[in-house]
Amino acid sequence: MKTIPRILRLSGSQPYNHTPDKNFLMIGERTNVAGSPAFAKLIRAGKLEDALEVARQQVENGANVIDICFDDGLIDGKAMMARFLQLLQSEPDIAKVPIMVDSSKWEILEEGIKYLQGKGIVNSISLKEGEEQFKECARHIKKYGAAVVVMAFDENGQAATYDEKIRICERAYRILVDEVHFPPQDIIFDPNILTVATGIEEHNNYALDFINATRWIKENLPFAKVSGGVSNISFSFRGNNVMREAMHSVFLYHACRAGMDMGIVNAGMLEVYDQIKPELLEKVEDVILNRRPDATERLLDLAESFKNVSGKKIEEDLSWRNEPVEKRLEYALLKGIDRFIDEDTEAARLKYGVPLKVIEGPLMDGMGVVGDLFGAGKMFLPQVVKSARVMKKSVAWLEPFMEAEKAAKALANPDAEVEKSTAGKFLIATVKGDVHDIGKNIVGVVLSCNGFEVTDMGVMVSCDKILAKAREIGADIIGLSGLITPSLDEMVHVAKEMEKAGMNTPLLIGGATTSSAHTAIKIAQHYSGPVVHVLDASRSVPVTTSLLSVDQRAEFARANRVKQDKIRIDFEKGVNKKATISLEKARSLKYTCDWDNYQPAVPEFLGTRVIENQSLRELANYIDWTPFFHAWEIRGVWQPDTQTLKTQNAGGAEEAKKIHAEALELIERIIAEKRFIARGIYGFFAANAAADDIIVWNDTQRSAERCRLHTLRQQLDKSSGKPNVALADFLADKKNAYTDYIGGFVLGIHGADEYAKELEQQNDPYGAIMVKAIADRFAEAFAELLHHRARVAWGYERPNEFNHNELIKELYRGIRPAPGYPAQPDHTEKPILFDLLDATNKIGVSLTESNAMHPASAVSGIYLSHPDSHYFALSDLQRDQIEDYAQRKGMSIEEVERWLGPWLGY
Amino acid sequence: MPQPDPTAELTAALKERILVLDGAMGTTIRSYGLSEEQARGKRFGDSKKDILNNGDILTLTNPEVIGDIHKRFYEAGSDIVETNNFSATSISQSEFFVDDPREHGGKKDPEFFQGIIEDSFLRDLAWEINVESARLARKWADNIGSDTGRKRYVAGAIGPLTVSLTNSPDANDSGFRVITFDQVLVAYKEQVRALIEGGSDLLMVETIFDSLNAKAALVAIQDVFAEDKISLPIIVSAAVGRGGETMISAQTSEALWNAVAHVNPLAIGLNCSLGPDLMKPFLEELSNCATTHISCYPNAGLPNPLTPTGFDMTPDDMNRWLADFANSGLLNFAGGCCGNTPEHVAAIAKAVQHVAPRSVPSIG
Repeated sequence: MKTIPRILRLSGSQPYNHTPDKNFLMIGERTNVAGSPAFAKLIRAGKLEDALEVARQQVENGANVIDICFDDGLIDGKAMMARFLQLLQSEPDIAKVPIMVDSSKWEILEEGIKYLQGKGIVNSISLKEGEEQFKECARHIKKYGAAVVVMAFDENGQAATYDEKIRICERAYRILVDEVHFPPQDIIFDPNILTVATGIEEHNNYALDFINATRWIKENLPFAKVSGGVSNISFSFRGNNVMREAMHSVFLYHACRAGMDMGIVNAGMLEVYDQIKPELLEKVEDVILNRRPDATERLLDLAESFKNVSGKKIEEDLSWRNEPVEKRLEYALLKGIDRFIDEDTEAARLKYGVPLKVIEGPLMDGMGVVGDLFGAGKMFLPQVVKSARVMKKSVAWLEPFMEAEKAAKALANPDAEVEKSTAGKFLIATVKGDVHDIGKNIVGVVLSCNGFEVTDMGVMVSCDKILAKAREIGADIIGLSGLITPSLDEMVHVAKEMEKAGMNTPLLIGGATTSSAHTAIKIAQHYSGPVVHVLDASRSVPVTTSLLSVDQRAEFARANRVKQDKIRIDFEKGVNKKATISLEKARSLKYTCDWDNYQPAVPEFLGTRVIENQSLRELANYIDWTPFFHAWEIRGVWQPDTQTLKTQNAGGAEEAKKIHAEALELIERIIAEKRFIARGIYGFFAANAAADDIIVWNDTQRSAERCRLHTLRQQLDKSSGKPNVALADFLADKKNAYTDYIGGFVLGIHGADEYAKELEQQNDPYGAIMVKAIADRFAEAFAELLHHRARVAWGYERPNEFNHNELIKELYRGIRPAPGYPAQPDHTEKPILFDLLDATNKIGVSLTESNAMHPASAVSGIYLSHPDSHYFALSDLQRDQIEDYAQRKGMSIEEVERWLGPWLGY
Repeated sequence: MPQPDPTAELTAALKERILVLDGAMGTTIRSYGLSEEQARGKRFGDSKKDILNNGDILTLTNPEVIGDIHKRFYEAGSDIVETNNFSATSISQSEFFVDDPREHGGKKDPEFFQGIIEDSFLRDLAWEINVESARLARKWADNIGSDTGRKRYVAGAIGPLTVSLTNSPDANDSGFRVITFDQVLVAYKEQVRALIEGGSDLLMVETIFDSLNAKAALVAIQDVFAEDKISLPIIVSAAVGRGGETMISAQTSEALWNAVAHVNPLAIGLNCSLGPDLMKPFLEELSNCATTHISCYPNAGLPNPLTPTGFDMTPDDMNRWLADFANSGLLNFAGGCCGNTPEHVAAIAKAVQHVAPRSVPSIG
């Protein structure tokens, strides 16, 4: 079994494991108001951003943990601890390391640990106030999951000597381990580093006492750690940094050899033990190890010569400052460094001449790199937000210049329209039904950092509220966010509503379940304005900037649309490639009517009947008005009883009423002036199915084939067990004992094309469209009426059995499929039907070369009477069927393929 | 009724085999095609806001649907199912019942949330959802357990909240937070207590996108344990992004383990946000450092709004991946998050059925 060593494991956003190969854990001391007067000054002055900079430098200089302390009479320690740690969480470069919350006041420690997402260290507790309080504090710290520093203090005060140190530490250890069950590896003893070389004899052994106590603790208290505030040791040499650094290094060298694990140090201010000059080293070691009584005096003499020599400078890697300005801006954005952003932005402004070019150029490029790294999982959200905040400062520097530019322009050209004062107004909301918005908030922050005026409507926001707010504030861009799957449908809904409202505002789509594919396939086609999917917060800035840039907007929207169209077309091709089956298999799965218990309806006549001049007034009663309004792009359902259009389209009902009235008026004129002549023919014939063909017999004895109609069969693999239908399935097979029957019809509205042309010549295009639309309605009404008559003639329907509405809903028995429609998409079946009925001669409806009917308002089709007969759709016809069909029809495969192109599935 | 601590029997079972968790509640609920009206039932008929996507409320208005889902997961082979109350805290429920102040130019801040955590309607509702959700899962755990002769367990789900303790939504102040740690603690404590009352066997702090939120939940659990003199096993599970960091607070999984090891969780693991393919390296990282069991319930791939479940992977895919994880010695608990239907879970159960569990490293 694998064993994992029991070591101190800490974390910020990243782990810090104190493995044996790590000699010494460096705790940065400069964010401690007691350890750094400079830091204390910044905090007292409220310059928290600069104070954060101090924290960052420590991490850059190698601090593994940073100590944070606000124990100062002029600072509200508890409030400042909370505030500073919250600010620090937004600094990814700092927040990666564990935090040591440092105070002598328990209430500050208690507050501080509420802001650590990782495992930090509480510094410190002790037995000073007695065992009960010690245990209570330790339990609390354990509950929050922090390590603890225990000072060698007890009810009698500070442990100065070796004996006191080990006695108190042992006592504390036993309480923590045995009673509180504190993990021993998380206990860190601070056996008090006290100042040496003070001139007082009792102090001379302090360093050695600490070192020896450390050795004892490490040998006797398993897994416990030892730490200490190192700079205390050299306090008597304040102002002499060379001396102090040497003392720190020597002390640490010996303490570490004794087992000291960590210390609070100035990470940038440590001399390397090996590089200390031999003379200095010897004298410092004499003091630290208390090797001779005059050690202090000898060191003081030597110290004189080092006075005013400055110690090791804090080194900061500024090599990136030598790069060109674009690289400097990019680096600043990537690292979230704002210290040089003003000067770099100014340099870029001077180089580019126009402030906007800086934003659209190097800054956007930099954010693009941020976006790439984030997308690749190499940067994380807090870093992106940090980058945005740097961006904000850069934009803020440029703003006055942009204002001045505008003012100058306005002065030069007072009539020009006043430009907008902000980069743009961005409206953002989580859609109705969804409560998730932490990611959306980040987008809001990133965008406002980039100068956009962001209005955040929160979560669960309904479509109408979003649209109303967009109008109210004059939003330049609307952003929709959602995390859960149902939000996708709501986004589609919003897009449709924006289209209906005639808006053109760019629409941004974002959130965990959204994708560029979904946006392209399901949302973009419902809205004519730009619809852009934004992968994450880091991408929102370049997209928004492009959409609002006068120079880039049109091209960006166009490229986006082209990309989306391609995705959608590819997708639709992919979707249509459904599983299919062979024609043979499809035939075995044909629709089977219950022929054994069926008596075919016998028509009252065979052959054809012509209607030379159908009463238009009678037809007017059969008109289904709903499609008429669709022709005028008013969606809704016509209510015949109230003569109104039920529609959600604002104003649509009113408009429909107006057009309807005009149409009725025009119909009166058409009837009065005999503008239209409605002619039709229908007939019945003995017929049977033969596989997928329909044989039309010369007579009921089936003596000879008069002609054959051809039908096509569904070939999709329907695992549901549903049949693969062809129209021929609704006729009794010729093998069957009895004869079945089929009907056919052709009708047309003559005169409409001529009337429309006449109106066009009179410059009345509206009237022309109206005439055509009415003629279409008459043709459909005629088809409905004729079908009704045919059913009555077939003997299975009484006259007036169905009212107008029931006819529209097709509640009756039987169907009238037309060639060219989904159940039989092949237009080349029309000539066969027309020949059978002799339609062109009898009623003057002819076929063009492409088998379109003339006059244009015409309908043709066959009648099927079986009660099971129903409409269905064909798609994805396979090559085996096309070959078979071509052979049956005596056409070449290429010719069939040409006519059936859109229905082919290979 | 509070349940006895099952740690010993679970630990024994975990030595023998990989225990199976359940799949996605949200995905599976959606397959029932409930309408807004059905979701509301009579009780919430007058609710001002839509609550169809407030999946937790279905425990109260459509318990037969939620019960059926639990039943199907247990039948598919889950040893443990999670209760249906991922967002049942006063804080998260407020999103469905309280006007968002931002609609009128206001803001959400600690003052706003103080009102929320003191709101008796929200507190009572959250309490009821948690208790009833635990009872519902308990009922089916006991039913299927006695039917099949294999004991089943109920994990009280503690979700990540709709707010973040580490992220500032204010562009001008990165130190701003909408809510305080103590407020979150109060809301979580009520949830924990109710889940125990309803009969949970375990507590699961899961889908952690913000480790500080999770820390508050873990403090809440320890507080309730101490105050009510009870103890149950805890599972801690994080949602990490493509770089292996918690989605909002950007903490690596090893850093999270270091931060939660003190509660001695029965398991630590990863769930949600990624499919198994992208999750594997981070699971390995966790498996290498954690001295407890490893749990893993990934999404069924990445979101794909164009598929019926909304996610890419089929039951077969999940079967292959989880079998691979199991054979790599990474698993003690296996299940699925978003996009995983009972069929997916059955495939996962099959994948891990005869594979030896990961042996838990000892600490020494």
